[in-house]
Amino acid sequence: MRIFGLLLAAIVLIALPFFTTGYVIYLANILLTFTVLCLGLHIVIGEAGQFSLAHAAFYGIGIYVTGIAGTKYGLPFPVTMLIGGVAAAAVGFVIGVIALRMRDIYLALATFAFGEAMQWLFQNWDAVTGGPNGLRIAPAHLFGHEFVTDKDAYPVVVLFALLMIGLTILISRARLGRALRAVRESEVAAQAMGIPVQRAKLLAFGLSAFFAGIAGGMFTLFSTFIHPESLGFSTTMLALTMVVVGGLGSIGGAVGGAIVFGLISELLRQAPSFQEIAYGLILIIFMMYAPKGLFAFLADKFGRARHG
Amino acid sequence: MDLELAILFLQQGLVSGLVIGSVYALLALSIVMIFKTSEVPNFAAGEVFMAAAYCALFLMVFRALPVWLAIPLTLATSFLVAALFRRGVLTQVAKASGSPVNLVIATLGLSYVLKGLVRRTGYGDTPRSFPALVSTDSVMIGQASLTRLDMAIFVAAVVVMAAVFWLFAYTKVGRSMRAVGMNPKAARLMGVNIERVHMLVWGLSAVISAIAALLIAPKILMTAEMGSVVTMAFAAAIVGGFTSLPGAVVGGFVIGIVENLVGLFISSRAIVVAPFLVIMLVLIFRPQGLFGGRFAIKKV
Amino acid sequence: MANPLLSVENLTISFGGIVAVRDFSIAVEPGTIHALIGPNGAGKSTTFNCISRLYKPNAGRIIFDGQEITHLPSSAMAGLGIARSFQNLELFNELTVLENMLIGAHVHCGGSFGDRLAAHPPAVMREIDAIIERTGLAPYRETKARNLDFGHQKLLELARALAIKPRLLLLDEPAAGLRNREIAALDTLLTDLARKEGLTIIIVEHVMALVMSISDRVTVLNFGTKIAEGTPAEVKGNTAVIEAYLGKEVALHG
Repeated sequence: MRIFGLLLAAIVLIALPFFTTGYVIYLANILLTFTVLCLGLHIVIGEAGQFSLAHAAFYGIGIYVTGIAGTKYGLPFPVTMLIGGVAAAAVGFVIGVIALRMRDIYLALATFAFGEAMQWLFQNWDAVTGGPNGLRIAPAHLFGHEFVTDKDAYPVVVLFALLMIGLTILISRARLGRALRAVRESEVAAQAMGIPVQRAKLLAFGLSAFFAGIAGGMFTLFSTFIHPESLGFSTTMLALTMVVVGGLGSIGGAVGGAIVFGLISELLRQAPSFQEIAYGLILIIFMMYAPKGLFAFLADKFGRARHG
Repeated sequence: MDLELAILFLQQGLVSGLVIGSVYALLALSIVMIFKTSEVPNFAAGEVFMAAAYCALFLMVFRALPVWLAIPLTLATSFLVAALFRRGVLTQVAKASGSPVNLVIATLGLSYVLKGLVRRTGYGDTPRSFPALVSTDSVMIGQASLTRLDMAIFVAAVVVMAAVFWLFAYTKVGRSMRAVGMNPKAARLMGVNIERVHMLVWGLSAVISAIAALLIAPKILMTAEMGSVVTMAFAAAIVGGFTSLPGAVVGGFVIGIVENLVGLFISSRAIVVAPFLVIMLVLIFRPQGLFGGRFAIKKV
Repeated sequence: MANPLLSVENLTISFGGIVAVRDFSIAVEPGTIHALIGPNGAGKSTTFNCISRLYKPNAGRIIFDGQEITHLPSSAMAGLGIARSFQNLELFNELTVLENMLIGAHVHCGGSFGDRLAAHPPAVMREIDAIIERTGLAPYRETKARNLDFGHQKLLELARALAIKPRLLLLDEPAAGLRNREIAALDTLLTDLARKEGLTIIIVEHVMALVMSISDRVTVLNFGTKIAEGTPAEVKGNTAVIEAYLGKEVALHG
């Protein structure tokens, strides 16, 4: 069943550029970018249990740093994306240091405040970010080849998405992943098992920000323009919604949530008020009847139907 | 900047800060009230505030109801919607998972729904202004200039605060609210109907938000985004320790005054970012807030 | 007499001016079971949390195997070979028994880069499987800790501590809430661990039958001070101990 699903996903990913047009490819690029953004949130909230509401800020740092490194300094894209990811991770570490002093609601509020402050910076630091006018991003390039269209960028975006999914699975299965989950479940017990809780939290924040930074870099591959308006709390909320609707704490949930909810949000884009009402109702209904997310809910129903 | 101007700015900042701060204080009260009884930070507080303002606008301007009818209707609607949300939605969410995160996400859901609904009506698409019930003539206090409306806002807000404190301190309902916040199990054993207390708290909190909205609406341009002012209230609540009602009020005034002083002395562009810096600084240096108690050592 | 594996010297701990433990000293010989008993609120768990470095003492020293550990962080204990269980269960509830055990073996999973990345490092798995088998948790390997019954949750607390491969095991009320049959099994397991494998155990416990049966030495605390220490038989006959447990009247007239 699982292998069949993966096979199907692979076929769709490979076949897409041959059978569809620009818009669908653009959509695929966006959904894959959001997938990576969601994986970052999955690491810090789903695995380590630390509430972070500054995800859009790290995404923004990734976009601006990658974009500027490419546009102003003409670096090739694998280098620019690495710089973007590392810059976001560095800021993530700093936020992690702050986060060590707080928990739960206080952490959520502090990261929320940081996210808003960063958006303000994006909007007002005209010299670097272009401020409210936004920033033009030159096409990414490698070995003299320029990635101009969505179709050009698509294989690279797919590659990065797969890389990051692989990295998440690796982390989750490894000693580090277990340590993060231990911190989520009980800090005192984690400590007693020899896990340096503070360092684990720092790593979670840093890694999560790195993922967001890479997602930002992926965005610059197929976009030519960034406006700070789209880097605020609503983007963090969108990613959080995706992770929660997919199923908090599972990688499949984060990826599936990003794709399914990303599609819904794209379909509703023409009618912003409907989009908001639908978002809200989906969140409320999921929290009421399927708190473990869409996929756990389906598995539960499906499993029950099969057994009984 | 010469000294004379600085003194003038200081006075103006203080007075204007107290006025806007009183509105933040009301909003912070409504957030802290809910947090104290159910440990849920209500992320829909801003949208409740916004929706209440639109409800009143609709009744007064588009249905031409008299003020004495429109205001009670607005307050009653706010109360009902919030109480029903608590009863119909949050109770089920708590039953389904019990994790506070899920409750928080449900309040975020409510905020989206309210914003979407207001936009659906079409009234939220263009900025609108709310009719002032009190004249906007200027009055001087010291060297600071204020309008009569400002003074009315301040006085009304302080009266509402006093009523809230009286309610919590001296009435049976208030005592059961405090009991539920401190120890729900013990409260249940003492015969308190927890579910009803939660509904009351949510309803009351929405009424306070609605009052804040009615007070401030004539001073600002109404849009569907006006709920973002709640950030100031969250900042106020955090300064106050997030679990203290008097702390919320003091926090509201502090944030209001800081905002105005920053605007006068630094730049109006910096106003927007000031509360976030305050939130972060307070949380970094005093994570329990200025009025919060110390964190208890976890017993293992 | 061999050198003690753990010695606590003149430990004093207070919270907000209230002294919880005053000038407390013990020496625990290697390979022995040392019980800490006393009425509720006597300071047993506080002492315990201090040895496992959760609380900071106001005065005194803690020495493990000749090394002072008084100021080391709690997370350094496992690496030294000190493991503990928790009175009120601190399991990783949403994780399976196996995952709980793997996290217990955290300090042994950090060898090579391959070990760090492995979901189930082979060497560690052999040890874990042996402990799971021995504690009777084998049927529940893939069960979430949250879904175990209380007795098995207590067992998992102990099993997870054993996964650290400790030299010193601190057990905080391992028998509380267990049924007689389960207590008997615990008795055998702990005795085996100490007598056959040379593990040193400090145990805080209220179930006196277990304490008297397994302990080599018993230290009695009351109001934060040590009032008696000796073999189980010596402590049982000590007037101060009877007073502490039953009140003065009974001690005089009974």
